[in-house]
Amino acid sequence: MAIRLSRRKIAGYIADQAVSGVDANNLVQLLAAFLVDSRRVGELTLIIRDIEYQLAERGFVLASVVSAHKLSADTQQSIIDMVSSQTGSKSVQLQQFVDPNVIGGFKVDLPGRQLDSTIAHKLTQLRTNYKK
Amino acid sequence: MNHLLTQFATTEPASGGIFEALGIDWKTLIIQIVAFLILVWLLGKFVYPWLMKSVDERQAKIEAATKAASEAQAAASDAEAQVEKLLKKARGEAADIIATAKLESADVVSKSEDKAKKRADQIVADAKSELAKEVVAAKNALHNETLELVALATEKVVGKVITDKNNDDIISDALKAVK
Repeated sequence: MAIRLSRRKIAGYIADQAVSGVDANNLVQLLAAFLVDSRRVGELTLIIRDIEYQLAERGFVLASVVSAHKLSADTQQSIIDMVSSQTGSKSVQLQQFVDPNVIGGFKVDLPGRQLDSTIAHKLTQLRTNYKK
Repeated sequence: MNHLLTQFATTEPASGGIFEALGIDWKTLIIQIVAFLILVWLLGKFVYPWLMKSVDERQAKIEAATKAASEAQAAASDAEAQVEKLLKKARGEAADIIATAKLESADVVSKSEDKAKKRADQIVADAKSELAKEVVAAKNALHNETLELVALATEKVVGKVITDKNNDDIISDALKAVK
């Protein structure tokens, strides 16, 4: 009977392979085959999150940005610079999502942390912090 | 009587002395004396004892009745004195009871007044407290409702006025604040 690998080890292995330059498609296929074979497809979301953590520890940050409008290239670069300086990472990859519900501003999701500077969030803070 | 005294007298002058001169007959006188003595003896023997006994009994009865009356009077006096004493004692006790009852009633009234006053004060204090709480709750509700309206209005207004350009400016300001 095969030893059940922990998610941390799987994520660490994938992150190491990605950092060392292995083709991403091959890594994805490898991971998918492993999860199907070990019947752990249900853990996919958690493993992806763990991989993001492992990559962040190795200086590669995958950040998702949510804003009400599409961001200009300058703004995106400014966000990348900010994330890079905040996390001390060598590389930042930005994924942009548009959500009108945030009204204005932006929200950055990083592995293990979040920076929410949207107007919707500020209004929510207004509602909760000043509510009696 | 006169006839009795004179029937033995004689009109003739006495020849045997002064008794004869007075018309007294010795025989008749002796008989009368004896009869008198017999009468006295009979009376002393039969009538006087009975009469004296009757008188003594009556006197004894009278004395007994007097004594009984005196005793009754004394008993009545004692009873009256006892009654008076009891009445006096009863009056004293009644006065004590009345005084105690007055004091107790005054105490009860005082306590009732104090209790009623405390209760009234408590009701007033509770009402004030409840009113203050309701006022605070109403103020808070108004505050929260105003806050919600402000947030909602801000959301609507800002949502309409924000464009790509000023959104980038907002983000730029936010990034500066983060740095």
